[in-house]
Amino acid sequence: MSVVAFERKPGAGLWSETELNIMVAALNDAIASGNGRGWETGMTEKGDAQFYLLGPLPDQACELCVSRVGGRYILEDGSGRLLFEHQSLALVALHAKAAVRSIRGWTLARAVLLWCTIRHMIHDKVEPLLTESEELLVELAPQLAAFA
Amino acid sequence: MKRGKHQEALPEKLQRKVAPEARQLRKQAGDWLKQRRADAGLSQIDLAARLGLKYYTFISQVENGFSRVPTEIMAAWAVELGLEPAAFAKHLLLYYEPELHRLLFGAKK
Repeated sequence: MSVVAFERKPGAGLWSETELNIMVAALNDAIASGNGRGWETGMTEKGDAQFYLLGPLPDQACELCVSRVGGRYILEDGSGRLLFEHQSLALVALHAKAAVRSIRGWTLARAVLLWCTIRHMIHDKVEPLLTESEELLVELAPQLAAFA
Repeated sequence: MKRGKHQEALPEKLQRKVAPEARQLRKQAGDWLKQRRADAGLSQIDLAARLGLKYYTFISQVENGFSRVPTEIMAAWAVELGLEPAAFAKHLLLYYEPELHRLLFGAKK
């Protein structure tokens, strides 16, 4: 008995092998750049396919997401900004490739901002304690010296 | 959910050690958000429409644990789920920035 292998019909359900190849080929530079970057696929509640390009470790947050909804391909970034949409996956993949470069700069800026915020908070909490201890020491030092 | 074949190339042991925490916490946040949306009786499409998004795919992205609720729409997201924005943000911070949550609000329990 022979079974004819039909390719999955594009436009519904999981990604086809061909679709995945197009996206991975376009984003290969980003995926191969190391530090744990990679990609995953998933589904929406309605069963529409999604492809996630993941950023570097330790976060591995989604940098770009391509979704297929009703035969259209939707390109969004990790914050939900709609970057491009079209019926041609090849065209969407090209836009994804271009978008990766600009996102890297934005991600770095966000990481620096977060780091500065945390440092500032720690500084705000620790600095008064140090100042207080210093003042206390200045007051007590002569008395301690007198005892000695 | 299928994993990428081209996951890049830290030693597997190290990946298992480092990667899971942020991702697992984001996934937990996604599960929590999904549950709150279900409690509010909304579909992903309903919520996206109420948030003024053209497509509902970003809701799925967040609920699947790949992205965070952006700060700029956090309040609106909370309101649509029938939750108080400050409590919603505080709860999400526990998953998204656990260290910052600890600094601001003390220990988890």
